Amino acid sequence: MRGRPELRTSYESDQAPLGTPAKRFWFAALLIGAVLLPFGLTSELNALIATAFISAIGAIGLNIVTGYAGQVSLGHAFFLGLGAYTGAVLSGPTDRNVVGLGLDMWIWLPAAGLLPAIVGLIVAPVAARLKGLYLAIVTLGLVFLGEHLFREMVFLTGGVGTGRSSAKLEMFGTRIDQRTEIGSYTVTREMKLYFVGLVVLLVMAVLAKNLTRSKVGRAFSAVRDRDIAAEVMGVELTRHKVIAFAVSSFYAGICGALLSTTTGFIEPGSYGLLTSVNFLAMILIGGVATLSGSLLGAAFVVLLPRLVQEIPHFVPFVESGSTGGLITTFQLETLLFGAGIVAFMILEPRGLFGMWVRAKTYWRAWPFSY
Amino acid sequence: MKAIARWGRIVALVGILALVAAACGGDDAGPGGGDVKTGAGITTEPCPGSTHTDRGCIYLGVLSDLTVGPFRALAVPLTDGQKAFWKRVNDGNGIGGKYDVDITKYTRDNKYNPQEHVAQLRQILPNILMLAQSLGTPPTIAARDIMEEENLVASPASWWSGWSFEDLVIESGHNYCTEAMNGLDWFAETHGKPDTLMAVHYPGDYGGDSAAGVAKWATANDVAFPKANDVQTAPNATAGTQDAPVAAILRVKPDVVVLATGPAEMAEIVGKAAAGGYKGRFVGSSPTYNPAVLASAAKPAILGLYNFVGPWGPWGTNTAAHNAMKAAAGSKLPANEGYTSGWIWSYPVKAVLEKAFELGDLTREGVRAAVEQTTVDYEGALPAKKYSGDANTNVVRQSLIGKADEAAPLGSSVVKDFFVGPTAKDFSFTEPCQKL
Repeated sequence: MRGRPELRTSYESDQAPLGTPAKRFWFAALLIGAVLLPFGLTSELNALIATAFISAIGAIGLNIVTGYAGQVSLGHAFFLGLGAYTGAVLSGPTDRNVVGLGLDMWIWLPAAGLLPAIVGLIVAPVAARLKGLYLAIVTLGLVFLGEHLFREMVFLTGGVGTGRSSAKLEMFGTRIDQRTEIGSYTVTREMKLYFVGLVVLLVMAVLAKNLTRSKVGRAFSAVRDRDIAAEVMGVELTRHKVIAFAVSSFYAGICGALLSTTTGFIEPGSYGLLTSVNFLAMILIGGVATLSGSLLGAAFVVLLPRLVQEIPHFVPFVESGSTGGLITTFQLETLLFGAGIVAFMILEPRGLFGMWVRAKTYWRAWPFSY
Repeated sequence: MKAIARWGRIVALVGILALVAAACGGDDAGPGGGDVKTGAGITTEPCPGSTHTDRGCIYLGVLSDLTVGPFRALAVPLTDGQKAFWKRVNDGNGIGGKYDVDITKYTRDNKYNPQEHVAQLRQILPNILMLAQSLGTPPTIAARDIMEEENLVASPASWWSGWSFEDLVIESGHNYCTEAMNGLDWFAETHGKPDTLMAVHYPGDYGGDSAAGVAKWATANDVAFPKANDVQTAPNATAGTQDAPVAAILRVKPDVVVLATGPAEMAEIVGKAAAGGYKGRFVGSSPTYNPAVLASAAKPAILGLYNFVGPWGPWGTNTAAHNAMKAAAGSKLPANEGYTSGWIWSYPVKAVLEKAFELGDLTREGVRAAVEQTTVDYEGALPAKKYSGDANTNVVRQSLIGKADEAAPLGSSVVKDFFVGPTAKDFSFTEPCQKL
């Protein structure tokens, strides 16, 4: 439909990703930008953006179960932790005080998704019987259970205050996250982390996009919008809730394992309720039931603390240290985070994605937008 | 199509510019003048607030537990002690008369959290030459890969036995493992060889290392140390109370209990065990003591049953290092011995910087290379130390024994001065006591 890209003549073309030339162009431009970006940034920012990319994988996972299928889950942190430890145990060195099998990334990365997915499958039938608040409470229970297990299973996790090394990004015997020199140019480990994050995110996002526009994805939306109506139409509720949980847990596991590799270390205390809330915030701020929203939300939540650290340079009463001043950056960050969630819920429930859509619509109709 | 082609050209141009900019970036810290090679973390401008306009500035990073972590009570005076140390260096000759040292600008809070530690390290990394303080074993280990790639040398604020095997870490004093051996050797000498002993400890680098030392002492001295006497506990923040180890102590009634916990946990264990009728003795690792415990109900039990093993003399000790520290601190006493530790942990950093300066290479590579050739002079606080050669030769085996003492300036005094117990003396260090 050259010249009239908005005219759809088939369901496929309506559902096709990157359906218009403009979308294709901007996607290509964004991708090229994303590939070039790390060469112009400091290592610290590269690591931070890599963290945002990887967090976006987890946010997409949560968006699948909570955004698309409408099942509120507070248990995301548990699956993140499960993925991180699966990766660490499979990849870790064999001669330490914690269990390690010394396996390659092509084994541990899929396994770090599969094990949480299996655990997701096991708990999902219970969760499928519940909805709303009750479901939230059950999944909350998972987080506490997980925290306890991670704390107590010292032979796997190292225990509180000790922790263990994370999985190693090692493919076919070669570390892919170590600095290399190409001629006189240095490719830092942070650049490589960035690219690992970008590639895995792209793959996972494409898979998620395809899932959401498939029969299963449409069933998710039907279940979310009105479960009884969906059932009447022949959508199997339990089956689709279970699928949503398993897929979401898979994403969380991959995210957890990769996230731990950005710091190289796993502390058992990192998978508490706050982590789950952080991921919920990502999808609420970014935009529920949108993939680009997951990415925007993850970027917002990951980059906000870093931005807040710059505030003391401009605002006199904010203190960067531990004492003095009216408020410390740490407190300010917590405040802004909470205020951000409240503001988005009230002013723009569709999140950053909604703001983007509004801006886009405004400029599309310009100068006749109102 | 034309529009797209034009955009393509612009994107390509931007890309090339980005690449060129990236390739040109990097070594923006200028050379420090003279014939000393310099790189990251050194400027020709004087340090902030310095009056030495003829000196450049060496920036060192500090990653410490300053606000919310479990060791903040020790870490804040520790960092103050380091600041005082470097002020004294700067007031004197600086490094080779050409550089002052600043540790304040890049002091960051690691919250004793490995993730936070690595994130903060990445932030300050382009601007520092080395780490004047890297607090905690797990955070420091988390940063090991980055340190290795960046040739970043660090002075650790912890006593894990594995540091003797790491060439980028310039540790001071004994480790938790030799500490436990010396504590038990001292106990055997003063109170008779124990028939039963117990270890109550946190897991991991600290408590695990200490318990490994107890096990090695037991093997070397032919004393039974069954699994049941190896009691693991956790900080009260996680465990709630220390009732479980207290029950174990009261059940087994060992002759001596080796403790490797926090001060509050130590006070609770010693107090409750004494209240339960326990008559044996406690030997604590150095982090178990903080004078604040003397304000607790456990005070009589601590004064009566408890000793700790120290890596160096407490505040009141009379050495050139301690006297210089007391003069630098002025009339105001610090909160605890963290200050002394901060002061003493700074000597290796100064020695390595001076060596690197002497060798004419103050880049990170130069500093790393200088470590091997450095001999640290602790001004009498510790015997001179080298980092070259194997761990078994270089590991520090001396400890001293201290006790809680209300009359002493920071609540502790020395019972037995530096000694090497027979077990630690004969022990062969071929690997860390507790591997991590």
